[in-house]
Amino acid sequence: MGTGKRITLQQAAEIVKDGSSLTFSGFTIWRRPMAIVFELIRQQRRGLHLIEVNGGPHTEFLVGAGCVDIWESCWVGHELYGKYGANLSRKVGNKEIIVEDYSHAEMMFRFAAGAAGAPYAVTQTSLGTDIHNPEYDMLSRAGKRDGKRIPKQKYVFTDDPFYGAGPQVLVPAAKADIAIMCVQQVGEEGTVRVSGQYYSDPEAARTADITIVMAEEIVPEEYLRREADRNTITSFEVDYIVECPFGAHPTGMFGRYDVDGAFLKDFYGRTRTQEGFDDFAKEWITGLDHMSYLEKLGWPRMLTLKANTALNYSTCVKRGQ
Amino acid sequence: MGKEYANPEEYGLADLLCCAAAREVQDNEIVFAGTGLPMVAIMLAQKTHAPNLKLIFEAGTLDGRPPEIPTSVGDARCEMGASRASGLYDAFSIAQRGYVDLGFLGGAEVDEYGNVNTTCIGDYLAPDLRLTGSGGNPDINSFAKRTVFIMVHEKRRFTPKVSYITSPGWRVKKWPEGEFVHRRELYGAAYRGGPSAVISTAGVFRFDNETGRIYLDTCHPGKTPEEIREMCHFDLDISRVSGETLPPTREELHFIHDVLDPEQIFIPKVTKG
Repeated sequence: MGTGKRITLQQAAEIVKDGSSLTFSGFTIWRRPMAIVFELIRQQRRGLHLIEVNGGPHTEFLVGAGCVDIWESCWVGHELYGKYGANLSRKVGNKEIIVEDYSHAEMMFRFAAGAAGAPYAVTQTSLGTDIHNPEYDMLSRAGKRDGKRIPKQKYVFTDDPFYGAGPQVLVPAAKADIAIMCVQQVGEEGTVRVSGQYYSDPEAARTADITIVMAEEIVPEEYLRREADRNTITSFEVDYIVECPFGAHPTGMFGRYDVDGAFLKDFYGRTRTQEGFDDFAKEWITGLDHMSYLEKLGWPRMLTLKANTALNYSTCVKRGQ
Repeated sequence: MGKEYANPEEYGLADLLCCAAAREVQDNEIVFAGTGLPMVAIMLAQKTHAPNLKLIFEAGTLDGRPPEIPTSVGDARCEMGASRASGLYDAFSIAQRGYVDLGFLGGAEVDEYGNVNTTCIGDYLAPDLRLTGSGGNPDINSFAKRTVFIMVHEKRRFTPKVSYITSPGWRVKKWPEGEFVHRRELYGAAYRGGPSAVISTAGVFRFDNETGRIYLDTCHPGKTPEEIREMCHFDLDISRVSGETLPPTREELHFIHDVLDPEQIFIPKVTKG
């Protein structure tokens, strides 16, 4: 049964407007919606506000390509394939981007609040750190705190009014226009089945006003509904679906393929400068579409990354030195 | 495979750090591990003296028993044999609820009260270098009963004032004024402990129970207390040195190189001769 949710990669990227706020599926270098990210770069989207539980290669690509004005999160890098986010680092140094730092748990709890329709969350994390330094409220310094998509305050400090547990910090709910997800399976009506750790995907999808799910495969909805307890995101929480094999590359996907560490190392090494980034984008993004990108990668490389179906990770990929 | 200590030519610095970190773990503890050397250290403890420890990976694996080392905490390898594979909300809620005994963390800079920086070098408003950002460092450090930091030892990293307090030590800033107070005062009922050790490439450091000030506990083989004091920008207390950091045993080296990290992803193997 068709539901009209199925769209193409190009159409998915067109839903994102200049100035949209975005969030994503995945965790650091795992299950990031790279094929749509590359399409956003091809379509030269500008002025994006990324709000995410943690960043990764997708952040670095969008930031390097000049698509991002605001990044609100806690971490960016490539794990052992690149120590930090060189593109974000360069743009922070040049004051070309606003970075608002929260802690990882704070970001997670902000999304949990957003997903529950609550205006804020309460936590006891990171008390006494510079994350809470009022001088370092960068969105306030930039005059961006409009109380609409961006909360009026970064934090509110309070004391537990119920049990007398002492100092607490209130963190504003996350709000995002669009969540772009990358998963193993989605049904024709939008039911999502994530295999392996689901990271912060349920909260990201529920928080956003529009949720786009890119999946390795679109499967019959009825197949997923046979075992509803294995599903991760509800059909009606998903607005659009896109089928795109190897859509997370160079990040990895549980049960499907490993992280392409050599690709990330190459990206990290070559994109310390803007010229380096532009060269890399010319080679791997602009002028290509997803299929020609995969063709350029080549089958031998993709087969090496392919996960063993019993173990859910690749036994062929070279990980060490 | 013996429990006797290896000779200096049989191991490298990474082996020494890994074993020193593993020895901070007690059996039956719930331990939170970040990507890299800490994962190897915890799995080493799991293979040796702490077979009943419970492992949490930040991305959402709870009570994991991975048969081989994951490349990162989001890795598919994390969840083989785990009690549950879920998400970050579970991992952080469990931590905030108070289940975590010990967390292993890293840092770019540390001050004498164990405040750690992983955010930027230089003025935050105009940084010389932006680093990764906090990740879960302050969260694990806020929630766990003990935290152990593993760091490269360079003089500029052991500083009286870190560029940015990413992760809370024993004396932290009370906002909005930012005056330093003891951590106990700020965390109220959520106070459970704090940094218990820093394992650097030079030695092992601990913190005074009362003042929260750092002191040198053991020197890595070949280093003297005076040398290590010279390697800090703050005035390091070397009056309580208990001796030399114990080297790896042959059994530990076997587990590290033949079982846990044969691919040398995190721990290079020292070739003899």
